Amino acid sequence: MTHQQTQPGDTKTAAILAELLGSGTFAARITAGQNGEFYLAVTEEEFTPAIESLAARKCVLIGLFCVQDFSPRSRFSLLYVFEKKSSILILIRDCAGTATSIARIFPSANWFERECRDGFGIEFSGAFDKRRLFLHETYPEQFHPLTNETPNRPVTPKKQVAPEEEYPFRTVHGEGVYQIPVGPVHAGIIEPGHFRFSVIGETIFNLEVRMFYKHRGIEKLAQGKTPQECVAVAEAISGDESVAHAVALCIATEKISGISIPPRALYLRTILLELERMYSHLGDQAGMLVDVAFPLGANQFSVLREDLMRMNAILTGSRFLRGVVTQGGLTKDIRKQDLQVLLDFIQKFTRRYQVGLKIVLSTTSLLDRFTTTGRIPKELLRPLNITGPAGRASGGKVDIRISHPYGIYDTVVPVPRRLHDGDVLARFTVKAAEVLDSARMIEQLITGLPEGPVHTDQPVRDGYALSVVESARGQDLCWLWVRNGMIERYKVRTASFCNWQAIEHAVIGEILPDFPVINKSLNLSYAGTDL
Amino acid sequence: MNASFVLYMILNTLLVLALAPLFISLIKKVKAATQGRAGPPLLQTYATIVKLLKKEVVYSPNSSWIMRVTPYISMAAILVAALFVPLAFVPEEVGGIGNIILFLYLLALAKFFTALAGLDAGSSFGGMGSSREMSISAIIEPTTIIVFAALAFVFKTLSIFGMFSTSAGGFPAPTLILMGISLFIIIIVETSRIPVDNPETHLELTMIHEGMILEQSGRNLALMELSAAIKLTVLMALLINLLAPFGLATTLTAAGILLAAVLFLIKAGILAIIIGLFESSMSKMRFFRLPNLFAMAFFFSTLVIIIEVFS
Repeated sequence: MTHQQTQPGDTKTAAILAELLGSGTFAARITAGQNGEFYLAVTEEEFTPAIESLAARKCVLIGLFCVQDFSPRSRFSLLYVFEKKSSILILIRDCAGTATSIARIFPSANWFERECRDGFGIEFSGAFDKRRLFLHETYPEQFHPLTNETPNRPVTPKKQVAPEEEYPFRTVHGEGVYQIPVGPVHAGIIEPGHFRFSVIGETIFNLEVRMFYKHRGIEKLAQGKTPQECVAVAEAISGDESVAHAVALCIATEKISGISIPPRALYLRTILLELERMYSHLGDQAGMLVDVAFPLGANQFSVLREDLMRMNAILTGSRFLRGVVTQGGLTKDIRKQDLQVLLDFIQKFTRRYQVGLKIVLSTTSLLDRFTTTGRIPKELLRPLNITGPAGRASGGKVDIRISHPYGIYDTVVPVPRRLHDGDVLARFTVKAAEVLDSARMIEQLITGLPEGPVHTDQPVRDGYALSVVESARGQDLCWLWVRNGMIERYKVRTASFCNWQAIEHAVIGEILPDFPVINKSLNLSYAGTDL
Repeated sequence: MNASFVLYMILNTLLVLALAPLFISLIKKVKAATQGRAGPPLLQTYATIVKLLKKEVVYSPNSSWIMRVTPYISMAAILVAALFVPLAFVPEEVGGIGNIILFLYLLALAKFFTALAGLDAGSSFGGMGSSREMSISAIIEPTTIIVFAALAFVFKTLSIFGMFSTSAGGFPAPTLILMGISLFIIIIVETSRIPVDNPETHLELTMIHEGMILEQSGRNLALMELSAAIKLTVLMALLINLLAPFGLATTLTAAGILLAAVLFLIKAGILAIIIGLFESSMSKMRFFRLPNLFAMAFFFSTLVIIIEVFS
């Protein structure tokens, strides 16, 4: 393990973090990472009290993943990523093959631990849920794809699955309770996901989601590639998070290698990030209106989204803004006349968007459908790490652009948008405000855009770093470890991975016909969950 | 049964079969226009039905004879019901045809078998559709009875033919305007349109009518689609010929019937446009709020009965 020299400001943060861990003695051992995060290697004896202390001090577990051959002392290392306000602390725990579960203390660990079990074969003792996660029952028993010993090639699935090996869903018993299985093949063009509803009449009593029907092995694919080659892989994680994931990866690489990219590239990247947020939110808002059968309103947003995506194509040659972000800046500059077209477009866009918004928010039948539907209580935000507009509509504060500014968000600061109702209407309204904010920011960025190059060519150095960005869906986390110029581990945790678990709570007590609009309002990515 | 009645039966059935798909397309066209889209061509529904008629039928291995007979029963019941509502020419009433109670039960028969077929294949969406359709039916049924009772009060007859003859002779009562609102709501509910159901979508968890016919395919699906279209036309004709009957032929003359048919086409076209605009103006209601909509129809028809009894 290599750590950089600790800066004076870091010592202060280290002391604060040690306080969170419940013992000042940790302060000297906490080391600063490359991108503002802090690392602390803990022994098994120190681990449990430290976790309890972090839980008592209301820290959030935002990531947990396994890395092989990271520590000289053991085969695997488990990295626990905790967040408290604007500090991020990563606990490194040695692990030979078994570990104690923390899912009872930090419920967001449930899926993380199951992911580690499937990927690396680590058994978590004391876990309340030991079912498989991304490896469905047709995968062979001792197959753990992320270990270095497993080659990256197709695996022969089991031909037959015994009934007792089938995935056990939570069952709800009682008079009049019955189960409705929905998916993974749906009636419309929707990604695969299975929803197991337990209902009484139309009222939903329990919902269990099962994802991971199209695992692509992205983390494995990234291994052995250069960070530069991996940008295309990052862009493929989830369609309308292409820029966010590419930027997250590039920031990690640049921080590890000490590359500082030209100011023009920083500005342009931010324009792309905000364009992506806008078109993603628009698609989402249109979808919410389609789901309550209000096509008149939905079309206002669909048309704007399409116009925006055509704008993307003019600016970058890609409707999804792909192939532009790269390590060291951008692959190409955006022409001045194109930026002028964008500026004109954004000004018209704002007016048209407000007209659409007015139609929607003055339709009483629609407000009736949106209000009080699919509430996410604020108490769930921290345990499940619910972020993005879904979190902010329930009174959450997390916006990475504000709490951990990356790029130029420290100078072009977004307005925090926060509502407290936590229902579909609140999520719709937060997204509406964010679309208008993004439009304003883009105008501001184009006006203040500096001249100069958009790319700097500097070599990649070895090391590791955590980078967190705010995509349209919420907090996207990326941890990159480069060794001998090649990627040793590329861990991505998308906002959807955590937010999917919120829907199980949001639908309780609601009626089945309201599920589609609740689902859409959370804008969850299936692909982004299933790397 | 005299010759003019036989001629009426042939003419009315042909007219309703020929026009029904047109109004479905027209409503879609209007909705598309409000959204700034071009929408399907007016003859699209005809093409769809012809296409479906040519396709093979696939049955789920879990389905029984119910699945096989439902399209025919549904089509037969709706076609007989269509005989009860003259579109252009009102003949002399012959033996019970035109009785509103029988008319309601014919519609109920078609609905009953459609719901059974929804359950028959054992898919969860069909079951959900049937369960919802039956819940809605149980609530709308009393309202429908009251609406038709109010009509009977206004016209002092149980025969639709009798009602049409009276209304064609001159506007009988201002209370009919109130009845128009109730009948419009019944059209919306019975033909599964927004805000009750969304005919456009296969959004699996919200659908009602589409859920029930999800397992239907090929010519069976064509029959289900066509009978739904005929049901819409028949209910629209009921509203039109009670409220705006001008031009309705009561004697058997070629010119009169032709004029009445053209006038009906125009009037029903206008009503279809109104339905399209109505659908565009709102979102679907929350399922458990639907009784509020039905209560409106109930209220207006009860009001009509009270007015008719005490005036």
